[in-house]
Parts: sequence; structure tokens; C-alpha cells
Amino acid sequence: MTFGDRFRGRGGATKTGSAPVEVVSPDLDETVSTDRPWLVIVWNDPINLMTFVTYVLQKLFGYSKEKATRLMLDVHNKGRAVVASGTRERAELDVYRLQEHGLWATMEQSG
Amino acid sequence: MSRFGGGPVRRNSDGSYSIRLDPTVRNLLASVSEQVVPVMESDDPATRRLFPPAYVGGDPDSARAERGYRDLVDGAMRNHHRTALDTLASTATATTLSAEELALWLSAIETLRLIVGTRLDVTEDMVPPTADDPSAPEYALYDLLGMVQAAIIDALAAELPEEGRPEGPEGLL
Repeated sequence: MTFGDRFRGRGGATKTGSAPVEVVSPDLDETVSTDRPWLVIVWNDPINLMTFVTYVLQKLFGYSKEKATRLMLDVHNKGRAVVASGTRERAELDVYRLQEHGLWATMEQSG
Repeated sequence: MSRFGGGPVRRNSDGSYSIRLDPTVRNLLASVSEQVVPVMESDDPATRRLFPPAYVGGDPDSARAERGYRDLVDGAMRNHHRTALDTLASTATATTLSAEELALWLSAIETLRLIVGTRLDVTEDMVPPTADDPSAPEYALYDLLGMVQAAIIDALAAELPEEGRPEGPEGLL
């Protein structure tokens, strides 16, 4: 009995982010990026199950099964995919949650 | 999967989960969990997939941001993984798990797969080793972990709304 088909790893995809521009109040002290959202990226890896990646995307982001599956297939077929975007702080939180679940996630500023 | 009969992981009406696994499998899950704890807490290269960088630019800003990120998350992640591995080890013989325990099983098994898979240097379409290959037992473990993980995912994913949650996940938004 082979389990290969059931346990194939997946890949990743590149996709442009579509989050709204973050407008930041000018009286904040911290250095802010006012017009370039941060992209949350999931990378393909040969270990994670396709069903696991889909499940994690549904669970963490509330995505429909259809959207989560589409993103997972982008990861699988293209090597990486942007799964979320937003402020730097929110992106760090998302990367942390994805990594804690075992996905290979990173973040980068768009543009 | 004929090896485990009708569904290794099934949700009960009270929200708990029934676990049907061979005693051999259970003993293996418990012993591997215990063995991996010191590995995870070391600098063993097999753990590199557990703590990937968040910022991967080569510039000084990225390096600084990455240090900040690591300071923020490493302790919490290690604690979480330790809790999950300890829970799997201590509940490996249980026939019923709470939803929280099952989530910790999923996390622990994921950690085990990442470590074992890294040690085996698995690739996307690798051919399993032949029985006489020294890596064969470890590959069999990797395969088994995948089967158990798949069964857990099937049970948990069935509870997620197919249409998603527009308000955002787990109250975060």
C-alpha cells in the first residue's frame, strides 16, 4: 500500500498582496511605513501535508476552504504565496502563528 | 486506511475525540515525543525547520528586525512545542481526547515530522528507502507520523466552516 499520493508535500506561490493601504496617525512616535503593507508569505516545503497547510490557513485566517486550498496550491506550484498582508505588527503576529503551526513563513514589505 | 480500521480519530457528540490506534503506535508516539524534547532544546540542525527566520533580507534593518522577532517569539514557541510533546507523551494511551488535547497532538506530531523529515532530508517526490537501507526505520516512523497527522487533520478540518469566518479567526480581528 502506498501513501505517497496522500502525503505529497506542497509548493508555494508568489502573489501580489491586495490589502488596503495602512494609514498611520502622524503623532505616533515610532517609525512607520505609511504606504507599503507587509506581506505574509508561506513557502513550499517537502514535509508538510497539503491538507495540513489548507487546514492551518482556514484556522488562522478564517479563509473559506476554497480560498485556503487555492493559496495552498499556489504555495505548492509556485514555491511561495502571499497569504495575508497588513501592518508590520500584524504581519509579525501572523508569521508567528504560522510558524508555531509548523509552516515555513516569512514577511517582507511590499513595493 | 485499512491499517487503522474505520477512522483513527473521530469526533464524539460531546466534542471530545475518540482515538483508535494500535498499542504499538501509541508506544512509539510516546517514546519518540520523549526522545525529541532534548533534541528540540538543543542546537541540533534537525530543529532548523522549527524556528525559521521571519525577516530574510540581508540588510542591517532586516537583521535587527529578526533579532527583535526572535526575542519576542522563541521562548513562547519553545514552551508551546514542549507542552505539546509532553502532552502527546502523557496521553499516548488515551482512547478519548479533548479538543485541546487533540490540537496539542497535532502540534506535537507536526514537530516530530519536521525534525524527522529534516534528518531524512526528504524531498518532494522522494522514493522511500529499501528495507535494507539504514534510514528505513526512520522513514517508516516518518510515514507513520504522516498517517496519524492526516487522520487528525481530517477530524479537525471537518469542524471548520467551509465558507470561512468573515469576522476573522479565533476572535483576533
